[in-house]
Amino acid sequence: MKKFFAVTLGILTAIGGFVDVGDLVASSLSGARFGLALAWVVVVGVVGICAYAEMCGRVVAISNRPVFDLVRERLGARVSLLNLVASYLVNLLTLGAELGGVALALQLATSVSYLLWVPVAAFVLWVVLWRVKFETLERVFGLLGLTLVIFAVAVFRLPGHGPELWHQALSPVPTHGENWNTYGYFAISLFASAMTPYEVFFFSSGGVEEKWGPRELSEMRSNVFVGFPLGGGLALALMAVAAQVYHPLNVKLDTLGQVALPAALAVGKLGLAIAILALFAVTFGAAMETGLSSAYVVAQHFGWAWGKLVPPRRAARFHTVLLVSVLVGAAVLLTTINPIQLTEYMLVFSAVVLPLTYLPILVVANDRRYLQDHVNGKLANTVGVVYLVVIVVAAVAAVPLMIVTGAGG
Amino acid sequence: MIGDDRMDVGYELLDLQILDRDGMEVGKVDDVEFHLDEDGVPYLTALLVGPDVFGHRIGGWLGRVIAATTRRLRTNRSGPVRIPYDLIGSVRSAVTLTVSRDLLPEPELEHWLREHLIARIPGSGHAQ
Repeated sequence: MKKFFAVTLGILTAIGGFVDVGDLVASSLSGARFGLALAWVVVVGVVGICAYAEMCGRVVAISNRPVFDLVRERLGARVSLLNLVASYLVNLLTLGAELGGVALALQLATSVSYLLWVPVAAFVLWVVLWRVKFETLERVFGLLGLTLVIFAVAVFRLPGHGPELWHQALSPVPTHGENWNTYGYFAISLFASAMTPYEVFFFSSGGVEEKWGPRELSEMRSNVFVGFPLGGGLALALMAVAAQVYHPLNVKLDTLGQVALPAALAVGKLGLAIAILALFAVTFGAAMETGLSSAYVVAQHFGWAWGKLVPPRRAARFHTVLLVSVLVGAAVLLTTINPIQLTEYMLVFSAVVLPLTYLPILVVANDRRYLQDHVNGKLANTVGVVYLVVIVVAAVAAVPLMIVTGAGG
Repeated sequence: MIGDDRMDVGYELLDLQILDRDGMEVGKVDDVEFHLDEDGVPYLTALLVGPDVFGHRIGGWLGRVIAATTRRLRTNRSGPVRIPYDLIGSVRSAVTLTVSRDLLPEPELEHWLREHLIARIPGSGHAQ
């Protein structure tokens, strides 16, 4: 029974933890522009993150080393240094975007400008990462993130669900008045939002700290193969409500308030309150993960002590990187850049560096030296290679499409 | 490993994580040190850890910058951390030492950041 409870809790946390500011923005924006015509990309992205997260989990459970730790050995010192710089920068951008999401959610709840909330959110985030029992909080925010279910409820209470949505989802082409370039640009953003690099860094580092072994493999797999797809379902719900409310009116979204509004229209004040709580929970949870991931990648590349189980003074370099990253993330927002735009840029940049994140995982997951008999089977390798091709195409096309479309303009 | 006393250093040792007896991170194998025996055959004597040897090894523009910066910031003439081969317990997905990392010289950056920043923040001595 206890085991059953642990597995259920893990799955629930994975569902709530799947969605972050990237999913919120990419799903809502593309829902408003294209209805459900891009829904298939979410499905494609979820399958990809499941396949690669499972590989990461397996590497951790058998070798007891986080994935980024092994990357340097397999890519060589020079390429992995490039990988480190790219991964760190994209993590930092993601952290900034998540903090922006937290501040915007607080603005929605209080009507106090998000710029005033940024330093508060950054400080609380740092204190949490410095002192508070992290595992508990990760669970709390993961579970609070489940309040996103309000958007799934909203789908059925808003007009226009049913045949119309199906019809949109089954005609995966640009809607009237849109062209293929914009369609492609939004497809890449959505794909990147499902496969944001920090997810695997965080996932594998967490596994090392929780001391996963071969016995934990089945629990890890159930979290990944059940939790992530259900989380992807919540992202689809966000897309659907945007498709129902904004698509018919031809409205383009540019605020987080517009993301929450359909819940208010469908369920009233209570719905709005739950939606704001959900936005806060998922962005703050992701801010914790991206903050830690920024420090993980640096520490694991250079072989420094890292993690939450060591007192900070025994891991001074790790905690310095963590502190500096949170400060820089907050500083980026205080330039008054629009957090929604920051999120869009973060997704494009994520798409560009995706091959650097996922190629080494595929290589390591095939290395018998680390995995012995648990190396990738035929299925994992087929899916892995197919996705690597998709990832490379997305990476190459991301910047040209951003320029051609004026960032989706 | 190729045999009991032979290994492909470039493939099996360089860039591997080094852990101490208790599983605490010591650093990466940034470079290795060879000596020649009486017959002129090189043998491995130590693992070297530190950004300056790392910079030297990767070479190029970036490597030189890393190595030069490390030397410039160095407060004493200790050089990179040198781990004698005798201290190596096992080599698997990481190099595990037979001693605690507290017995090895502490990396300067870690020491400096702890003394000047991290240890001054309340709660730095507690794990979560």
